[in-house]
Amino acid sequence: MNWQPLVFIPIFLGTVGYSLFQFSKLFRLMKACDGTARPMHQIGMRIKETLINVLGQKAVLREKKAGLMHTAIFWGFIIITVGTLEQFISTVAPGFTFEFIGDGAYAALIFLQDLFTFLVLAAVLYAFYVRLIKKPERLGKSKDALNILYFTGALMISIFLMNAFHILADLPWYGDTMVFSKLIASTVGFDALNSQASHHWYLGFKWLHMLLVLGFAVYIPHSKHLHVVAAAPNTFFKTLSTEKPMQPIDFEDESLEQYGAAKVTDLSWKDTLDLYACTECGRCQDLCPAWNTQKPLSPKLIISDLKKNLLKNQKAILGGKKEEVGSLIDENVTEDVIWACTSCRACETACPVFIEQTDKIYESRRHLVMMEAKFPNELQTVFKNMETNATPWAFPAEDRANWAQGLEIPTINENPNAEVLLWVGCAGSYDDRNKKVVQAFARLLKKAQVSFAILGKEEKCTGDPARRIGNEYLFQMLAKENVETLNRHQVKTIITSCPHCFNTLKNEYPDFGGKFRVFHHSQYLARLVNTGKLKPNKSLEETVTYHDSCYLGRWNNVYEQPREILKSIPSTRFIEMKQNKEKGMCCGAGGGRMWMEETIGKKVNIARTEQALDTNAGVVAAACPFCMTMLTDGMKSKDMSEKVQVKDISEVLDEATTD
Amino acid sequence: MAKALIFVEQRENKLKNNSFELIAAASAAGCEVHAALMGESVESLAVELGNYGAQTVHIVEKPELKFYTAEAYGQALEAIAKKVEPRFILASHSPMGRDLLPWVAVKLDAGIASDCTELEFNGDEVKAIRPMYAGKAKVEVEFSGDGPRCLTIRPNALPAPKPDSSKTAQTEKVDVEFSNLKTKCTGVEKGSTTRPDVTEAAIVVSGGRSLKNAENFSILEKLADVMGAAVGASRAAVDAGYRPHRDQVGQTGKVVSPSLYIACGISGAIQHLAGMRTSKVIVAINTDPEAPIFQVADYGLVGDLFEVVPALTEEIQGLKG
Repeated sequence: MNWQPLVFIPIFLGTVGYSLFQFSKLFRLMKACDGTARPMHQIGMRIKETLINVLGQKAVLREKKAGLMHTAIFWGFIIITVGTLEQFISTVAPGFTFEFIGDGAYAALIFLQDLFTFLVLAAVLYAFYVRLIKKPERLGKSKDALNILYFTGALMISIFLMNAFHILADLPWYGDTMVFSKLIASTVGFDALNSQASHHWYLGFKWLHMLLVLGFAVYIPHSKHLHVVAAAPNTFFKTLSTEKPMQPIDFEDESLEQYGAAKVTDLSWKDTLDLYACTECGRCQDLCPAWNTQKPLSPKLIISDLKKNLLKNQKAILGGKKEEVGSLIDENVTEDVIWACTSCRACETACPVFIEQTDKIYESRRHLVMMEAKFPNELQTVFKNMETNATPWAFPAEDRANWAQGLEIPTINENPNAEVLLWVGCAGSYDDRNKKVVQAFARLLKKAQVSFAILGKEEKCTGDPARRIGNEYLFQMLAKENVETLNRHQVKTIITSCPHCFNTLKNEYPDFGGKFRVFHHSQYLARLVNTGKLKPNKSLEETVTYHDSCYLGRWNNVYEQPREILKSIPSTRFIEMKQNKEKGMCCGAGGGRMWMEETIGKKVNIARTEQALDTNAGVVAAACPFCMTMLTDGMKSKDMSEKVQVKDISEVLDEATTD
Repeated sequence: MAKALIFVEQRENKLKNNSFELIAAASAAGCEVHAALMGESVESLAVELGNYGAQTVHIVEKPELKFYTAEAYGQALEAIAKKVEPRFILASHSPMGRDLLPWVAVKLDAGIASDCTELEFNGDEVKAIRPMYAGKAKVEVEFSGDGPRCLTIRPNALPAPKPDSSKTAQTEKVDVEFSNLKTKCTGVEKGSTTRPDVTEAAIVVSGGRSLKNAENFSILEKLADVMGAAVGASRAAVDAGYRPHRDQVGQTGKVVSPSLYIACGISGAIQHLAGMRTSKVIVAINTDPEAPIFQVADYGLVGDLFEVVPALTEEIQGLKG
């Protein structure tokens, strides 16, 4: 009578059954979420992205060392699992092997298993080194992480010992391909044992390995290691496009009783899947401008804290008592956390498993603003100004086109056949410094003989600040009015120097019936330079650096055109800041922060200004009115405004281009 | 000639300038101008009202009128109105006027137009202009029916009149029996007597980052004290820790609109302009002639505030004696 199946089968059924039950619970929690996920189209594209990023580990490998470590462990687990399967089956059906796939193929398989056992062990040792010795801030202290490493390390050692004794006792030919196991078998001195003793040791380690695997199955659903199950589907269901509009709320729907997220269950199932997919690697936190200036927000912690909140409320959720579910804002996710976000999206861009932090933060803001009217005091004025004057600043709508006085810039009524509409934006209309930017842009358009017009007093704030702050109602009011105006004038192409207007007009107005071709001025000017319509001919003799705007870069993938423009100017030395492009640091004004006081920690704009000063550039070029304000203020605070100029790319280009 | 009754505001036996504006406006329109003056002991104030063009001053003196309450003042004004039978009843759109006049209008069953900025008299009729939607639109109001026309007028909206000491008014005492007063004001406790809050002060002196440190704000404080002004600051100055946040004027701080705003060493970033742009008169002192603050300033002075402000303080002190 063989005892092995009798012992194995109950343990297997017990552990795997328990694990499946836990997973089904997590699945039901996910399904219980009421929020609306973004529509999922383009299945082909999704499969491709999943293959590239899961099997190909593309996003993980954006960081070299951590990426290679993870790739070794990921592929190791896939290949080693084939071996584990063989062990499971052979325990129930003695003598079973995968040898039927052919001698050569089988030899290759066990060679790879042996090789990856070594690679995974090496990766685990590296991970221990990072966690226990290097201790980077982003990883934090995690018992869970160490447990996983102990587990994984023990698994690999048990495999090596199992295989070493297997070679000695039963299958010496395994040693021909299992180089590492053979090495252990011959060097450690196990070969002194007789074959029967070796066989017992082999069996012992095989059982140890199998029990560890099953133990791991029990451990995973309660651990951050849940990502091994959730990361692949999360990649499949990710938002495919970089240009991501916020989800509109249907205010006509009278059955809606809740705007935004008051509880975790008001988020969507995809948001919950995000929580499961996070393995707390902290790449997001490393780049977060809020975290790096001592704000209480960490994009890593908000995800793990929301997961804690979800699990804390699981009884009520699964019991169908949603009214008993606690608030999303709790002792971990405080209101300060929610308001600290600049929506720069560095976290989402860095995340190897495509978690979308901003969605959750902005759903929570919607609740705070529209359901509870809880928001920083100073925003009251912003809302009021936007409601009455259609601009966040307290300036009359009457004065909107004053910047254009005496410049012979036609309104759309005066030039209805204009090729392009110049969308000025509130900063360009009212802020003295940014008026100069729009004036420079307009001069360039004239130099290139572009036929353009402005809306003049008919233009209104796009509503972007209201939307980012959470006042979706106010946003939609302005969006609908603007779409109506633009469509009435049959506008086809819009150019603007404000990335926030650009993003809203281009990506968010289509949801409200506004379909236009929208270009940021960096894109439009780069084209005018590349096609020879603008010929920068005056040299600048200066070192220039460029500060990426979040809504241009990470939200719309425009990184190169502003640089092309700066590099096209004769005798300019272009230098990158240390953090640039996808990793560029926010100026601190996004996500409505432009209109809020910053009272906690260091100011984001000062931190970014210091990074710009580190380049020793004489000109810091920006391509966004908010960045312009923040960096200019930063230079003033650092007493550097005399030495370093903050300029918009259009101003730099205008000065370098004679008629 | 249409009769106009003007409610005259006094606090602690001091007349408010707003009342003179109303008297002068009614007088210029050719009305027979009656003034309603009330308080505990106010008869002596009637002379000044005459100088601005009041023909008859109706005086009610009662201990109950020492402090303002809508009930007592309302009954007094109602009694005067019933005696004079005016076509127009005017009051300032001040906290007192906007509290009182609707009360009286109800008692007289009269129509009321509040917060008017322009008045156009035409015999027995008046056309009033009122701003709406935070000044985005203006509406013209006319009255129908026969009753008196009640109007509250925004302070400082009408031209400032000049007194003429050759003009005098006759005075008439009116006796009022108060009935059933449910509220009684027993005293007024004033807030701290130090500098006023930026949002309430008629004059605000503000400083920016170019004051260089918190101590230097004493230069502005001295000027503020001789003018009875509040001290404000730009965001940059507050961020630098020179002043507390409650003094911050701007988009994310306090929004002020005093009659006089003196910006010292403030460049005038949009964040700041958004908080003080609606001030009646703006004076800017800055070393940089290109500073955007000069775009909104009524009076600009290109110079170093460390020289200009102390000189100004001395000059004003001298004028005050």
